[in-house]
Amino acid sequence: MVARRRKRAARDPEDRIPSPLGYAAIPIKFSEKQQASHYLYVRAHSVRQGTKSTWPQKRTLFVLNVPPYCTEESLSRLLSSCGPLQSVELQEKPDLADSPKESRSKFFHPKPVPGFRVGYVVFQKPSGVSAALALQGPLLVSTESHPVKTGIHKWISDYADSVPDPEALRVEVDTFMEAYDQKIAEEEAKAKEEEGVPDEEGWVKVTRRGRRPVLPRTEAASLRVLERERRKRTRKELLNFYAWQHRESKMEHLAQLRKKFEEDKQRIELLRAQRKFRPY
Amino acid sequence: MMHNIIVKELIVTFFLGITVVMEPALEGTGKEGKKVSSRKRTLAEPPAKGLLQPVKLSRAELYKEPTNEELNRLRETESLFHSSLLRLQVEELLKEVRLSEKKKDRIDAFLREVNQRVVRVPSVPETELTDQAWLPAGVRVPLHQVPYAVKGCFRFLPPAQVTVVGSYLLGTCIRPDINVDVALTMPREILQDKDGLNQRYFRKRALYLAHLAHHLAKDPLFGSVCFSYTNGCHLKPSLLLRPRGKDECLVTVRLHPCPPPDFFRPCRLLPTKNNVRSAWYRGQSPAGDGSPEPPTPHYNTWVLQDTVLESHLQLLSTILSSAQGLKDGVALLKVWLQQRELDKGRGGFTGFLVSMLVVFLVSTRKIHTTMSGYQVLRSVLQFLATTDLTVNGISLCRSSDPSLPALADFHQAFSVVFLDSSGRLNLCADVTASTYHQVQHEARLSMMLLDSRADDGFQLLLMTPKPMIRAFDHVLHLYPLSRLQAACHRLKLWPELQDNGGDYVSAALGPLTTLLEQGLGARLNLLAHSRSPVPEWDISQDPPKHKDSGTLTLGLLLRPEGLTSVLELGPEADQPEAAKFRQFWGSRSELRRFQDGAIREAVVWEAASMSQKRLIPHQVVTHLLALHADIPETCVHYVGGPLDALIQGLKETSSTGEEALAVAVRCYDDLSRLLWGLEGLPLTVSAVQGAHPVLRYTEVFPPTPVRPASSFYEPLRERSSLLPRLNKPCPAYVEPMTVVCHLEGSGQWPQDAEAVQRVRAAFQLRLAELLTQQHGLQCRATATHTDVLKDGFVFRIHVAYQREPQILKEVQSPEGMISLRDTPASLRLERDTRQLPLLTSALHGLQQQHPAFSGVARLAKRWVRAQLLGEGFTDESLDLVAAALFLHPEPFTPPSSPQVGFLRFLFLVSTFDWKNNPLIVNLNNELTVEEQVEIRSGFLAARAQLPVMVIVTPQDRKNSVWTQNGPSAQILQQLVILAAEALPMLEKQLMDPWGPGDIRTVFRPPLDIYDVLIRLSPRHIPRHRQAVDSPAASFCRGLLSQPGPSSLMPVLGYDPPQLYLTQLREAFGDLALFFYDQHGGEVIGVLWKPTSFQPQPFKASSTKGRMVMSRGGELVMVPNVEAILEDFAVLGEGLVQTVEARSERWTV
Repeated sequence: MVARRRKRAARDPEDRIPSPLGYAAIPIKFSEKQQASHYLYVRAHSVRQGTKSTWPQKRTLFVLNVPPYCTEESLSRLLSSCGPLQSVELQEKPDLADSPKESRSKFFHPKPVPGFRVGYVVFQKPSGVSAALALQGPLLVSTESHPVKTGIHKWISDYADSVPDPEALRVEVDTFMEAYDQKIAEEEAKAKEEEGVPDEEGWVKVTRRGRRPVLPRTEAASLRVLERERRKRTRKELLNFYAWQHRESKMEHLAQLRKKFEEDKQRIELLRAQRKFRPY
Repeated sequence: MMHNIIVKELIVTFFLGITVVMEPALEGTGKEGKKVSSRKRTLAEPPAKGLLQPVKLSRAELYKEPTNEELNRLRETESLFHSSLLRLQVEELLKEVRLSEKKKDRIDAFLREVNQRVVRVPSVPETELTDQAWLPAGVRVPLHQVPYAVKGCFRFLPPAQVTVVGSYLLGTCIRPDINVDVALTMPREILQDKDGLNQRYFRKRALYLAHLAHHLAKDPLFGSVCFSYTNGCHLKPSLLLRPRGKDECLVTVRLHPCPPPDFFRPCRLLPTKNNVRSAWYRGQSPAGDGSPEPPTPHYNTWVLQDTVLESHLQLLSTILSSAQGLKDGVALLKVWLQQRELDKGRGGFTGFLVSMLVVFLVSTRKIHTTMSGYQVLRSVLQFLATTDLTVNGISLCRSSDPSLPALADFHQAFSVVFLDSSGRLNLCADVTASTYHQVQHEARLSMMLLDSRADDGFQLLLMTPKPMIRAFDHVLHLYPLSRLQAACHRLKLWPELQDNGGDYVSAALGPLTTLLEQGLGARLNLLAHSRSPVPEWDISQDPPKHKDSGTLTLGLLLRPEGLTSVLELGPEADQPEAAKFRQFWGSRSELRRFQDGAIREAVVWEAASMSQKRLIPHQVVTHLLALHADIPETCVHYVGGPLDALIQGLKETSSTGEEALAVAVRCYDDLSRLLWGLEGLPLTVSAVQGAHPVLRYTEVFPPTPVRPASSFYEPLRERSSLLPRLNKPCPAYVEPMTVVCHLEGSGQWPQDAEAVQRVRAAFQLRLAELLTQQHGLQCRATATHTDVLKDGFVFRIHVAYQREPQILKEVQSPEGMISLRDTPASLRLERDTRQLPLLTSALHGLQQQHPAFSGVARLAKRWVRAQLLGEGFTDESLDLVAAALFLHPEPFTPPSSPQVGFLRFLFLVSTFDWKNNPLIVNLNNELTVEEQVEIRSGFLAARAQLPVMVIVTPQDRKNSVWTQNGPSAQILQQLVILAAEALPMLEKQLMDPWGPGDIRTVFRPPLDIYDVLIRLSPRHIPRHRQAVDSPAASFCRGLLSQPGPSSLMPVLGYDPPQLYLTQLREAFGDLALFFYDQHGGEVIGVLWKPTSFQPQPFKASSTKGRMVMSRGGELVMVPNVEAILEDFAVLGEGLVQTVEARSERWTV
C-alpha cells in the first residue's frame, strides 16, 4: 500500500496537487479575493460488495472537506458544468451503514451550524462523475452573479428565518398528533382483541389494562419488591446476640479503623509531596 | 512580562496529552516528548502520582490480630486527637516547624562564640550621659533622645552575666525565623540610684548597646549587626546578630541588656506611679497648680520587663519541659497566631504570651500535662474564646501579699490585663483592646470550626493564612502617620505621650479605635488595626522616626444587617443624652420628627443603593476622624469599593446593579402570578420556576427594560417582530430570561417522546395566545419556548412535563423488562427543567441571607470572562464556587463586601486541590457530616470518570452536572495560574496606602499567549460598552430613553460575536481553541492545538480543513493554515476587522 502510494506520488508531475489514493483534489476558494484555497477530495462513491447504499453506485460523487460557507446550492452550481445533477446532499459525516432518511421537521430539529462537511452528489449520468474527477479548479463558491452570504448578512437572514410562523407550527403539530392518536387507537384496539385470547401454545397475555391489573414490568418495580423482602429479613435478624457476633463486630470496627488509617496515611503522603505542611 | 511566558509554556505543555491528570504548576516542561508518546497509556493505566487512590487492603491485612502497640495507638488517637488524620497532620506540621538537632548544634556553637566575644568588649571610662563624644564615628545611639538633657553618668563594662532566655531553650521556637534572646546583665557600677526616672535607664541601655555594636560589627564572625526594638517598644532597642555565610538566615541572636537583679525597687514601678516627670519631659510642671503627676504605667512596665527575664524563663521551663504535649501545643499556637498575623509588630499577641497562657491554664488545672498538643491548642482557644481579659484580668500570682496592687488598678491603666507570677507586671501591657478582641474573635471562629467536625479543619485552622485584606470586608489606611501627632493634641493625650515616650502612633491608637467603634455601632462586627512592624536599621544610622513606621491600617468586619439602614437614631431631644449625641456627631446630628411622633436627634447618611449603603462606614469614618481627631479626608484612604466599578451598569455610577436585578425579579414574580392565574389552559400550571442567572442575582450586567426605536429596525409586522437592519450597527443585546413552567401530570399526556414534544409545542402556542388575549402581552411561540415581552423585560417560558425525562430514559430489554437508562437527551432535559430551577431558587435564597453574594458572584464571573475563559465554565459552576465562599467561609466569616469576596474567590480557585477533592456546596445545609464523608469516598472511587472540576450540591451528589462539559484540565489549570497571579497583585494594590492605582489591571487578559488574534469591529459588538475598559463612545444601539409606541418583539439573543464563535468552533474546533470575552471583547484569541498539528496519515473522517502534502515521499495531512486564516475573515465578514497571525508555530 505504502509502496504504491509512493510510486503514485513519484509519478505525479510537479504541478499536480497531491491527493490521497483514489481521490482527486479540486481546489476551492470562497471568491476571487482569497489567496489560498481549500481542497475538495472527490472520488466515485463505492461500497463494499454486498452492502446496500442509499446512493446509486457509479452515478454518485463522494466529496470530502466541503468548507462551511459552501452550501448545497453553490456546490450544485459548481458541479453542474460536469453534467446534469439529480441531487446534492451535505452531511457532517460520511454515512457508513444504510440508514433510511426520515424527513425531519424544521420546527423540532433546527439545522445545525455547518462546519466542514462531506457531500454526496448524484449525477443523472455516470459520465458526470468522471467529468467531476477531472475538474481542475479552483472553484469559486461566491461569484458576482451568485453571491453567497456570510458574516453579518448571513446572521441577519438567519435571524429573520428563525422568527417562527405559529400557524405553520400549529398545522404541523395537529397533523402529527392526529396520526399519533390514530396509531395509538389502532394499537389499543389490537391489544383489546388479544386480551384473554390464548396463543397457539395456550399462554394468555396479561396486561395492565385487563380486569385484574398486574405489576408493571419495570426495573424500578422489581427493585422495590427486592428491597421490601430484604427489609423483612433484617427485621427478623438478631444483632450482637451471640458472642461471635460481638467479636466479629469488634473486628469489623478495627478493620474500619485500619482502612481509615491507611487512607489517611496516603493523604498525608500526598500532602507532604506537595509541600503542604509548610505553614508559610 | 515573565509570567506570560510561563503561562504560554504551560499551555503548550498541557496540550501535549494530559487527560484528567493535571501536573503541578511548574513542572513538566522537560517531559514533553515523553508525554506525547504516553498519551494512550495515561488513559489506560492508573493515573499518575498526585492523585488519591481508593485504598485496597487484603482481607488478611484488615482482619489480622492487632498488636498491643497498634491498639494503644488507636486508643490514644481516639482519646487525645480528633481523628487519626488530624493526628498525622499535626505530627507532620510539627516536624516541619521544629528545629532539627543538627541546626541546634550549629546555633549552640554560634551562641558560644557570641558569648566569648561579648565578654571581651573593652570598657570605657565614665562620662556624663549628655556627653557622647566618646562614641566612635561609625555608630549612632539607637534611641530618640528627646529631651536630650538628662542627668547621670555612663561607662561601659563587659556584662556581668550572659544568659540565654526565651523560647529557644524551651524548645518551643518555630521555624522559619528562629530568634535567640540573650540577656546581658549590666554590671551594677554602670547604674546609679534613681536611674528609673526620666528614661535614664533606657539612655544607658542604648549607649551600652551602641558601644557593643561598634565592637561586634568589626568581628568577621557576624554577617550582619543591626539594631531593632524589643517587642516594638521604641525606648528599648536590642542588638541583632546574624552569623556570616550560609547560616545567615538560620538564626538571629538578639541581645537585650538588663539591670542587675534587685536593682529597681518594684514598689516604685507600680502602674499608678509616675517615673517621667512633666517638668523634665515637657519643660513645665503639670497645670502649675500642684496636681499630681500623671502615672506612667507603660514606662514602668518596660523597666519591669527587663528585670524579670530570667524568672519568666524559669517558670516556663519548670512547667513546659516536663511535658512534650505542652510544647507541641505552644508550637501549634504560635503557628495559629502567625497565620492570623496576630503575633507580629508592636503590641502583638506574641508566642511568649501564649506560652504564659498555657502556664496559667496548667496552674488552674484546665490543661493537664498528659494532654496532646492538639488538646492544648483546643483548651487555649476555648479559654480565649470565652474569657474577656479586657474586663476580667487574670493573674499567675498566687501570693496574697497585701502590698501587691489590685487587679482593678491594672484595669485602670491597661486595656488587657494578664499579671505574671510577681503580681506586679502586666504581660499584656502593650496589647490593645482591639487586638485582644481580634484574638478572641479568631479563637471563637476556630472553636466553631473544630466543633463542626469538618474534614479539612486542620488545613483551615493552621495552614490557611489570613492576611488583613482577605479577612476584613473593608480596610482603611491612615497616611501619612504624622497627622496622628496633631490628633494626639486634639484628643488631649499628653499624659499618654509622656508615658509612651513620644510615640504618638501608639498613644493615639486606643482612643481612635474606641471612637470609630462607637461611631460605627451596629454596622460593625469587629474593628482591628495593623500593628506597626518592628523596624531594623543599620548601626550607623539614626533610629527610624515614628512617622516612618509605615501606615496604620484598620480592618472593618461589617455586620450585613446593620448596613441596610441610613439612619443613626439618637435619643429624644429633651433627654440629657441628646447633648452627648450632638457633641459626638457634630454638625451631622439634626433634630428629626419620626412617624411615631417622637422628636429625636438623628444622623442621616446619603445612600440610595446597596453599594452606597455598604460604603456608609466610609462616610462615618471620615466624618468622625475629621471632627474629633483633626485627621482630614485626604489622609484617610478607604478601600471598600474600588472593584464595584467593574460590575456597574453602563450609565450608573451609584449602584452595583442589585437594585436593577431586583426590578427584573419583581417583574418575573408578576409574570409568574399571571401564569398561575391563566384561564383556559387544558391543564393547570403546577409550578413556575426561574432558571436564569438574573433570577438568582448573578447576571454580571443586569437587564434593563428594552424600548426599541422602530426606525432602527426592520419591522416584520405579520409576526409582530423586529429584525436587525443591515445598514445599522448591531442592535442592543437582549437576552430572554428563562422560566420553566411545569404543567400538571395527566393521563392525557402521550407516552412517547416525539409526541410529548408536539404536545408541548401546542401548549407553547396556547400559552402565547392566552397571555396575549387575557393580559395583552406581546408573545411569540416556537416549538420549544414562548417569548413574552413584559414591562420591557423579555421572558422565555419553557413548558415542561414532569415525566418527560423518564420517558426519554426508558429502554426496553429483549425480555420486555422496562429499565431506566440515562441518555444525553434525558440528562439535558433533567438539568434544564429540574436541577437548574432548584439551583436558581437556592441561590436566590442565599442572596436574601447574604446581600453581598450577588456582588461577589458577578465580580468573579466578570473576571473569569475578562480572562477570556468564560466559555470553559458554565454560569452555574461559577455561581456555585461563589456560593461556597458564603456557605463554607472557614476560616473567615462570610464576606460582606464584593471586594473581600472576590479576593477569597481568587484564593479558593488558586489553592483548591480539584484533583483530590470535590467542592461541596452545602446549599440550605442539607448534607449531614456523614453524607459528606460518603460523598468524598465515592468521589475517590470514581475519580477517573468524573470531570476535572467536581462541584457537589445536595441536589447533585454524584455527577457534578454543571461541570460535565468543561472546563478541560488545561483551561482549569490556566484559570488557576491566572488567579494565583492576580491575587497577590490585587492585594498589593489594595493595601497600597497611596491608592490602588489602576484596579482594572488584573482584569486585562494576557494577549501574547495566543497564536492568532481576530480583531472585531465594535460596530457589530452589541455589548461593546460592557468592556473592562469601557470605550468613551460607542454606537447607538437603537434604544429609546422613554417608552416608545412600538410594542413589537425586540431582537432577541442576536450577538454577532457569539454567532461567529459558534461557527468557528464548529468548523475548526479540532484544530484550535477560541477565547473571547462576551462582555464587549474586541478580540478573539486563537490557540492552535499542537496535537492536531502533527502530520497525520490520510483518513476520510478527519479531513476537515486539512490538506494532503507529500512529506519525504509520504502523503500526510496537515492543517491548511493559510486557507483557514482566510476563512476566519470570510466567515465573519463585516464583523472581523483584521486577522493577525502572531506566531509561526504551524510551520510544522
